Amino acid sequence: MILEGKKAVWNDYQKEIADDKYYYVRSCVRQNFFPGSETAFLKIMREELNKDVYEHPCHTSCTGIVYHSDLVPVETTMTVVARQFALMTEAGYENLMPSCITSFGLYTEILDTWHHFPEVEEKVRLQLKKATGREFKKPKNLAHASDVIFKFRKEIGAKAKYKLINKETGEPLKVVDHIGCHYAKMFPSKGVGGAEYPYVLTGMIEEWGGQIIDYPERRHCCGFGFRQYLVQANRGFSVACSKEKFESMKPFKPDMIITNCPGCPMFLDRWQYVINEMEGKRYGQNGEGIPVFTYEEVAGMVLGYDPWELGLQMHQTDCEPVLNKIGIDYSPEDKYNLDISPSYSKKHNLINV
Amino acid sequence: MGKHVVVIGGGVAGLEVAGQLSKIGFEVSLIEKDSRTGGHLNKWYRLFPDRRRSSEVKEYLNGITANNGINLMTDTSIEKFNRHKDHFIIITSGGRELIADAVIVATGFDLFKSARKEEYGYGIYDNVITSADLEEMFRRGEISLTNNTIPEKIGIIHCVGSRDEKVGNFYCSKLCCVTAVKQAIEIREFLPESKVFCFYMDMRMGGALYEELYREAQEKWGVSFIRGKVSEASETIDNKLLIKVEDTLAGRPLKMKLDLLVLMAGMEMSEGGKKIAGIGGLRTGENRFFAATDNHYGSNKSNIAGVFYAGTCTAPMNITETISHARAAVVEVIDYLKDNN
Amino acid sequence: MGKLYDLLLEDVRFEEGLNACMNCGVCTAICPAAEFYIYDPRKIVDDVQTKDDEKITELLKSETIWYCGECMSCKTRCPRGNAPGLIIMALRSLSQDLGFFTESEKGRQQLALKRTVGHWMITYGYCLYLEGVGTSMHPEQGPVWDWIQDNWKEVFKKMGANYQGDGPGILRRIPEEAMDEIREIFKVTGGMRRFENIEEFSKKKAKELNMQLDDGIENEYFQHIYKTNNGSHTR
Repeated sequence: MILEGKKAVWNDYQKEIADDKYYYVRSCVRQNFFPGSETAFLKIMREELNKDVYEHPCHTSCTGIVYHSDLVPVETTMTVVARQFALMTEAGYENLMPSCITSFGLYTEILDTWHHFPEVEEKVRLQLKKATGREFKKPKNLAHASDVIFKFRKEIGAKAKYKLINKETGEPLKVVDHIGCHYAKMFPSKGVGGAEYPYVLTGMIEEWGGQIIDYPERRHCCGFGFRQYLVQANRGFSVACSKEKFESMKPFKPDMIITNCPGCPMFLDRWQYVINEMEGKRYGQNGEGIPVFTYEEVAGMVLGYDPWELGLQMHQTDCEPVLNKIGIDYSPEDKYNLDISPSYSKKHNLINV
Repeated sequence: MGKHVVVIGGGVAGLEVAGQLSKIGFEVSLIEKDSRTGGHLNKWYRLFPDRRRSSEVKEYLNGITANNGINLMTDTSIEKFNRHKDHFIIITSGGRELIADAVIVATGFDLFKSARKEEYGYGIYDNVITSADLEEMFRRGEISLTNNTIPEKIGIIHCVGSRDEKVGNFYCSKLCCVTAVKQAIEIREFLPESKVFCFYMDMRMGGALYEELYREAQEKWGVSFIRGKVSEASETIDNKLLIKVEDTLAGRPLKMKLDLLVLMAGMEMSEGGKKIAGIGGLRTGENRFFAATDNHYGSNKSNIAGVFYAGTCTAPMNITETISHARAAVVEVIDYLKDNN
Repeated sequence: MGKLYDLLLEDVRFEEGLNACMNCGVCTAICPAAEFYIYDPRKIVDDVQTKDDEKITELLKSETIWYCGECMSCKTRCPRGNAPGLIIMALRSLSQDLGFFTESEKGRQQLALKRTVGHWMITYGYCLYLEGVGTSMHPEQGPVWDWIQDNWKEVFKKMGANYQGDGPGILRRIPEEAMDEIREIFKVTGGMRRFENIEEFSKKKAKELNMQLDDGIENEYFQHIYKTNNGSHTR
């Protein structure tokens, strides 16, 4: 591996990422499976970085999963997306920051389609007006929430309490990055580092002390495949994809996996459990599994947030091996303790600032 | 005659043009940006279809350009290029002013920069090389991996940077197929224990003796040809390359582990040619090569009277075609200068 | 010849997704579904570009158009700028519009998707609404999911969620006025019609198969399409 070659590719893909005044749209999957990640993200943005992040109470799912389950015509999805734009416009924001990669990909694709087919955009404007009376401006800047954390990785690094370093050996943790397919595969120029060697998560890991490892199936889909997971009869596809990735990364002995798509960490986490149940096969050192994290969780960990406030107990594959390697101060017995300390509830004020 | 013709580019086409023009009595200046003439011939070890040494062709070209009073300027490029009445004023990088009655552009091609096909990992993965790198190994007389071991399984990818919208090249470079066949045979000659796989979309064996060479590669050398474009390469922990391709004739995706991957880089309009096009107002086509005035009977003519093209600055060509095209350019110059007397 | 092709052309994704295919196989080589299923996206594109109604009809009724996971890895690589994934999305849409989807085991699953994620979308405004969706439908979610389901409200409270609450926040209740807008959009843009279509053709199929199909998911047909895999799809 020649790092200089990768650096040259990374240089070719510079992406414009707004530096403040974000309009945040949430992710269906992240809210259901990794709610602590969105909470940590907003805390980092608002409290650590002092950024203006607005969330509209009336925004909805972009329809992404429904759209990619082929349940709606493309016009339906475009008009729901147009409604999100309208809410943003009405709130006086221009920088759209989705939490979800499927949403990010959809927004990117729709803006591209409108660019090439202005008549489609016109039709959607009419349909939105007819259905809701709303009008919209297109976002000035579109960046996934992981792009924004990438942009501020140094600031986060400067405030970090921990580094992604094995406390015992002093060696950087070996980290596998898994990028959601819809981040850059459709439009390579819209992703930090492009589609083939994305830099968005690599940049965070390098900055926070870890070491990224490349492995042959790095670009392979986690196996969500929408209908390929959502319908029970198809799930063999989904687990086979994840297994292929685990087998491919195994010889590189990764300490952990970091992801930027909300769905991938769920699959990479749960399918390890399933493979063990089905075949008695366990990945990771000493068979303890390869912990899988969202980028918000990793940022939260290095900033010293409590692992159980981050929601690491919602993972099926235990995260403790990584916490122990880094030497994070946490209380193992509180993992499933659902009491909330007074300071905690105050911290998670839900009102927009 | 005493007319002065400036030839830009000292590769195969430029040397042939300069040699022929000087032979029949023109005053010729030959401008070459590198320190020596010969262009891509200097890099190649042996040539298809007969695998003669490239040095033999160079000897021929040196022969026809020697002792004819050609004014050769190496390490020189063109800074300015203007038509003034019936002649051209050319300013070189050395500040020299040349007055020419006609100009022949023979700026050739550049090999596609294979790092642009990011998914093949050239410049990133250790044992991914180009056809030009392989010729260099042939010249050194050893084919080895970065850890100095000998490769056993070698893959050759056709159409790298050709027929590919993603890199902006819609055209076929036409010579990579036969280069792949030639190099596959040579690898087998060098390394009799090796296995060689060529991954192609179409075998474009249109030149004289190409098809025969393809057949020889299969029959005599046991080279495997798999119809499918390689989708990506990645590096395994033991430093091998894992490629993904569909065997489209079997209708089956396959993964293969290789020791060495050779990319058949296509041909692109040269950077030098682009520069001349810019400063001289010469028209280029959608494929970025110089656009001749007529595809059938004007392939040497530019949009500026008195400026002619020779060789691969107009399209991918093999050496045979390049030399023929260069000689045709000589005829155009004679014709033009006769009319302009 | 060409009627179905013309219908496909009405889908902007089809226009974006198909230029001309030279059968290089770069899409199939990288396709996760082609690795798992007996499946060749290249072949689908090649069949579609014949514009032959018979071939396209066969595709619309086939299993093969339902194997794609829409990861769009094919779009990154195609040297002709095609996107087989987008072509497949257009085929799936047309298959549902014409009622052909119930002719294949994988196509019939559209009802299961409609009655889960589709239903959640127009009812709650989320594609996923997982309170009460337990490990019986999702055994892969493991013991941690049982714990989450057993303590749903407390877990989400601890995670800083605004579960079912007013105002912004995680899993907030989306106001009824907003949901009315979403449903109106679905009506105006053909989303509702697609839903109704899926219901109608599925009911017909259930009758044909002599299976019971009531509302919701606790019925014979739903459970059948959700769980049946006849084993003929993979290599």
